Amino acid sequence: MSSHEVNQTETLDVIDDLKWEKIHSSKVFRLSKIKQIIKRVILYNVLIVALIVTVIPLWSGIMSAFKTQADLSLTSPLAPPTIPTFEPFIYAWQELQQPLINSVLFTTLATIFSCLLGSICGFVLTKLKFKGSNTVFLLLTLGIFLPYQSIIIPLFITIRNLGIYDTMWAMILVHSVYGIPMTTLLFRSYYESIPESLINAAKTDGAGIMAIYRRLIFPLSPLPFVVAGVFQFTSIWNDYLFALILTGANFEPASFALSNMAGGTETAWNNTMAGTFLYSLPILLIFVVLGKYLMQGLMAGAVKG
Amino acid sequence: MPNVKIRNLVKKYGDIYALDKINLDINDGELFILLGPSGCGKTTTLFSIAGLIKPEEGEIWFGDHLVTSAERNYIERPQDRNIAMVFQDYAIYPHLTVFKNIAFPLQIINLSREEIKKRVFDTAKSLGIEDLLERKPKQLSGGQRQRVALARAIVREPNVFLMDEPLSNLDAKLRVFARAELKRLHKRLGITIIYVTHDQIEALSMGTTIAILNKGKIEQVGKPDIIYNVPKNLFVAGFIGSPPMNMIDGVLKQENGYTCIDLGFTKYKLSDELEKIKKMNNKKIILGIRPEDVLISKQNASNSIKANIDIIEPMGREFEIHLDLGEKILIAVLRKMDSLNTGDEVYLTFNDKKIHLFDKNTEENIFASNYKD
Amino acid sequence: MEQISEEIDKIEDFKNKKKRKFSKEIINNIFARDKLIIRLIFVTCCILVAYFVYYFIVWNIVVSMTDWQGLIQTNNFVGFENYLRMLDDPIFWTSLTNNLVFMLVFIPSSIVIGLFLAILLDQKIRKESVFRTIYLLPYALSFIVTAYLWQWMFIEDGVINFILDLFGLGSLKMAWISDPDIALFSVSFALVWQFSGYIMLIFLAAIRTVPQSHIMAAQIDGASGIRLYTRVIIPQIKTSTFTAFVILMIFSLKAFDFIWILTDGGPGWATTILPITVFKLAFKSNQFAYSSAIATTLFLIVMVIVIPYLYITYRKR
Repeated sequence: MSSHEVNQTETLDVIDDLKWEKIHSSKVFRLSKIKQIIKRVILYNVLIVALIVTVIPLWSGIMSAFKTQADLSLTSPLAPPTIPTFEPFIYAWQELQQPLINSVLFTTLATIFSCLLGSICGFVLTKLKFKGSNTVFLLLTLGIFLPYQSIIIPLFITIRNLGIYDTMWAMILVHSVYGIPMTTLLFRSYYESIPESLINAAKTDGAGIMAIYRRLIFPLSPLPFVVAGVFQFTSIWNDYLFALILTGANFEPASFALSNMAGGTETAWNNTMAGTFLYSLPILLIFVVLGKYLMQGLMAGAVKG
Repeated sequence: MPNVKIRNLVKKYGDIYALDKINLDINDGELFILLGPSGCGKTTTLFSIAGLIKPEEGEIWFGDHLVTSAERNYIERPQDRNIAMVFQDYAIYPHLTVFKNIAFPLQIINLSREEIKKRVFDTAKSLGIEDLLERKPKQLSGGQRQRVALARAIVREPNVFLMDEPLSNLDAKLRVFARAELKRLHKRLGITIIYVTHDQIEALSMGTTIAILNKGKIEQVGKPDIIYNVPKNLFVAGFIGSPPMNMIDGVLKQENGYTCIDLGFTKYKLSDELEKIKKMNNKKIILGIRPEDVLISKQNASNSIKANIDIIEPMGREFEIHLDLGEKILIAVLRKMDSLNTGDEVYLTFNDKKIHLFDKNTEENIFASNYKD
Repeated sequence: MEQISEEIDKIEDFKNKKKRKFSKEIINNIFARDKLIIRLIFVTCCILVAYFVYYFIVWNIVVSMTDWQGLIQTNNFVGFENYLRMLDDPIFWTSLTNNLVFMLVFIPSSIVIGLFLAILLDQKIRKESVFRTIYLLPYALSFIVTAYLWQWMFIEDGVINFILDLFGLGSLKMAWISDPDIALFSVSFALVWQFSGYIMLIFLAAIRTVPQSHIMAAQIDGASGIRLYTRVIIPQIKTSTFTAFVILMIFSLKAFDFIWILTDGGPGWATTILPITVFKLAFKSNQFAYSSAIATTLFLIVMVIVIPYLYITYRKR
């Protein structure tokens, strides 16, 4: 390398430094940097405002749930309780204990059923293709959009005729069946990504259809089971309409019991809030622990299957 | 009794014939290759033998046992056919360890735990993968996965082995190695293997019998050396051999008591002839000569064709020489260049024992000089 | 002697042949049974869904053409009488209008706010997942829960009025859900609060599927900041916008739980929308046939939205 070349690179460095000095000290540069910072500050501020708006109702609700009756009228709705108390929770728990247990029971069972059935239907529709399987799938999917008000009368009559009105079985049956379209959609879209050659390999390895499902498909499905499970549990737990119509004095789902309790003649707001909070607990738990799966399920329902 | 018999197999997709009346006999213990370009129907044939595809017409027999009959609407499920298959992407179960993968077919038939353990170990050992048994598929390399797929197929000791381009996903070096291994395996186990590939080198080196398919039809079935030296038609001649056979249009004529071929720019005399050739005159033909049978000389001799060396491609072990005849370019192959250079003027003759003549219309081979009737 | 052994051999042969055939048939049967169970379950599911969805719809239509009111089912066919009655019924029209007004407020607001939040969150925010989770929280809650929460917010000495006082805007205080003129807007507001997070999620996912190469090409061409979004990204998320739109529309027609708890359709009929009317007619005044007529109308409106949507999205297959 000639000394000539070395000099050139050196001079290049010097020029770069000078240029940088110039740029760095220019007003324009400083202004644009400040602009950037201001933008970010505004951005975060807006986001935090949105956060506050989102949280206020929840905050106020929780705060009220820990207040005594007196506290309710004394303090502002947004302020924390002066003396926190569990009274409202004790009251709410007494009212809602059995219904909550009821809901846990039938929600869990209906979730398991609809997920298993959805898995099998998804499997049949993707890997055991037959003529018209696409049509069947479409018809099944339409069930997701059914406005339940349009069928409350036939549903009511059917449940009554089956003799399961006002029992847990009504809830289990109804929620399982109406859960099938959504779970099938979720499982089907997942199973489409299982390569055909895996199924063919299992076939040539001697596996019958049941064996293929049991040993190959089912073990490969933990993800859709969680996604569908979380989605179903949330929808079924949160349901009110079916609880209202298909049950009565004998079997009370938690949603219905909550509305009974809160609709009492003396709306003690702290009790109502405590009850509401108790009722939301399972959902909040799922949301915190399995939140990302719930989001996947929500998006799958939105972005076409 | 042939192990697998295929009779008049037809498979259509809409109006397109994937298989157009396929007839094949595959004998016990053969390494039978289904060879052809993509879309020729070789994979469709393989899948039909497996029972994964239902044909529109035709029958398939395993020995004297009917497994597929389109006419009788009877198709035995793959699970019941006692076959084993290795797929192009190996299709290894991702959620199972290597051991469980290989054990899978044995668990289906409810063998005892000890029996399964023993068989899996033995098979894994014979393929050199006994150390990988506790690993999961995603931890394996391509070559290792391929051997797991093989192990899973072998462990059941089935009647027939089906393989769908099992080597095409391996890199070139590994492929050469795997080819030899498969051949050794075949010799050792003596099983019937039906093997699909588009790679003619693989076919020629591995197969005991090759069936060449094109557009749903069988062009030729035979031993590798027959396929190579006596191709039945233009397609087979052009498909087998790399670099491909040189093809020159010409007219077969009888002149001065000799049979010669008028190639336009020159006339080439045939020395060794069949009786039926002597009877033909003014027949439009295509002359086929393989690159290794094009002889280059610096001296002019009778019956030689003048040419210029256009391009020399050194391929390591040999040289590919493109020869410009003015109206045509021929490719020859030489081991050594012997002071020949680009641009040189040379004189070509053809190895008389290796000339092929194809009827221009029917594309059939009417004369293969090394084949005696 | 030889004859006897020959006979015995023949019989043995015959028995063996039979055994082999028999055992093969058993094996085939077992495998057939395997396939059968799965197929059976699938068919049962299809039958159940067909019954609980399609058959019920037809049944509902049939009921709507009878004169069933009261506790004893009467099955006299009256044709379209109920539908004609519906067209003359001011309550029906109020419900329908309320539904439309609600949709006009609820849907655009949710989409705009959802999109806005999604764009903001796309700006490489620290702790983005925390924001996302909290924004989504309202949607995860049951409508009963949110209805009670918002009742607490909207009552006279509730949170909203309290906050207005706090900011010195006491003059803006109103009877949010007892004033028939603004009740519907309050309801819309509360539901926008509940849905924005979900819509934001949809848009965020959609924005993130725009390939980096597109964005970079646009940036090289000079687009940045707002223009990047309006010219490049928003046009790319048309499908998701459409999906969000359809989801919100269908919800607007199904929204029963929330309104029922919050306002019971009141005050008067100020917040009554179609699903509420259907329910009240059926289970409060036992007018099953008439309720079915409105329910059928509701169903048709939903189908008018859903079927084109499904057609457009699945046409691409």
